[in-house]
Amino acid sequence: MKYLNSVVGTTHVGLAFGPGIPEFIAANDRLVDYVELPFEQLRHAPNLASIQDSIPVILHCASLSVAGFVPPSDSTLSAIAEVAERTGTPWIGEHLAFVTADALECGASDSNAPTSLTYTVCPQLSDETVRRVADNLSSLRRRFSVPLILENSPQYFVVPGSTMSMVDFLRNVLSHCDAGFLLDLTHFLISMLNTRADAVEHISLLPLERVVEIHISGLSVQSGVAWDDHATPAPPAVFDLLERVLERVRPRAVTLEYNWSSSFPRGVLQKQLNHVRDLLARQ
Amino acid sequence: MNAGRVHAIIAAGLANPQMLERWRQQPGLLRGYGVDPAEFDLDALWKAAGIAVKVRHNGLRGDLPLTFRLLNVTGLEIEVFASYASERRGRYSDSVGARASDFLTFLGHWLDPNRREHAILWDLTRHEWALAQLSRAAPPAPDATQFSWSELDAASVPCLRGEVTLHVMRSDPRAVAAELHERSPQLHEVALANYRFCYWRVGEEPEIQILELDELGFYLLSLVDGRNSTGELSRKLGGGSRPGRALLRAIGELAAMGILTFDAKPKESADAGSSG
Repeated sequence: MKYLNSVVGTTHVGLAFGPGIPEFIAANDRLVDYVELPFEQLRHAPNLASIQDSIPVILHCASLSVAGFVPPSDSTLSAIAEVAERTGTPWIGEHLAFVTADALECGASDSNAPTSLTYTVCPQLSDETVRRVADNLSSLRRRFSVPLILENSPQYFVVPGSTMSMVDFLRNVLSHCDAGFLLDLTHFLISMLNTRADAVEHISLLPLERVVEIHISGLSVQSGVAWDDHATPAPPAVFDLLERVLERVRPRAVTLEYNWSSSFPRGVLQKQLNHVRDLLARQ
Repeated sequence: MNAGRVHAIIAAGLANPQMLERWRQQPGLLRGYGVDPAEFDLDALWKAAGIAVKVRHNGLRGDLPLTFRLLNVTGLEIEVFASYASERRGRYSDSVGARASDFLTFLGHWLDPNRREHAILWDLTRHEWALAQLSRAAPPAPDATQFSWSELDAASVPCLRGEVTLHVMRSDPRAVAAELHERSPQLHEVALANYRFCYWRVGEEPEIQILELDELGFYLLSLVDGRNSTGELSRKLGGGSRPGRALLRAIGELAAMGILTFDAKPKESADAGSSG
């Protein structure tokens, strides 16, 4: 098994796991330092772990509901801990979001079972959520042998009761929690576009010194809203933000997330991996 | 506004978008949860539900790559998947194949054939699905038989050679596919007309042939089942029990292509029948 030799001051460049990615890595091993594997896929298909025979793995997760009010099950926590241990991941990247929520009363649902979405949703951006994140992290970190780092969510709609911007929310969370930051540049750009804010102006307001990992992916504008799209190349604006961030901080990893479609152009993937490496080399 | 309650409402709406419609029509239901309905952008939530379901169906991209591109290029992505999410109410099949089948079933009754982009989408989706299904293992096909259409008679029983999928379409999906491979697809240049396509694969040969048929050939193939004689096919197509020259010639042409064959040579089957 391969493990990431995460030396301070070194930035590794990797790909999110998806259809066609193992074949791409096999043909372009010099371009890719690691693959980011979702815990949920590993849980469903444990044989995916065999990829670690040829390349290191960083674990990504969408099950902890870090910003939510319904905790994950003990079996889920144990499973994540076991996978983290087995893969030797240097950290676990988790979304600053909720995945599960309390059931609604008033006859809206036939059961009291929480609503589990299987995907992450941007939480209410409020002091209450900030406190909840801090409490959740405090109990969650006791279960894992590696740090949790928090990924910013894309903001697709105004969550009622929100009292702060995404930037202020991230600043507040990171000031209350001793956690690293997984800065998803595309999610950030999406949030700025959807709230009519200036991404270039606001990126500098983030606690960039806390950035451990960076995510890059595409986005699509449909029905007047910008949406995350891992089947489309990241636009130049995302790389512009990357360049600005790299002027301030040296993350330990940069992950390209093009894991939705096996027909994502291989030439584009090579070009973008090389571009990221060029930007890193310049800093 | 209590964050946990807000998350509960959002999650319920995303999981079952029909709830969003109920709340739209009866805002008092939201008040019953202790929240101000005006604070909830139900339209935005509906769109988010669509995007979430689209991501959930990423497994279909392998078989329907251009369908997804078309949905994106035409701006139909959110509308289609949000409507699909409303219909499914959070219940989805486990396998990719079953999800694809469910999705096609939904498109079949949801799309409006009078809307140009809907018609093109329906054609392209069926085109890709036909190719995907035929590309999977195919049972062995009988050998082609060499004969002239003049040897056919009412007792001849044609059978399909290989696997066939038939579709009536308003556009040529191959032209649509060609546009979608361009950086800026010019879908308005795709002509709409009446097309009858036969997707055909013989045994384990890798190539899937796409034949454009005339009306007679199309409906003839749809009726061939290895049991109907030529005379019976003639009756089903509105003719008499004695097949006319046009029908016999059509069968002969399809046999010459290799898509039809006969268990025994025509005339031989008639002789065999008369000897008993």
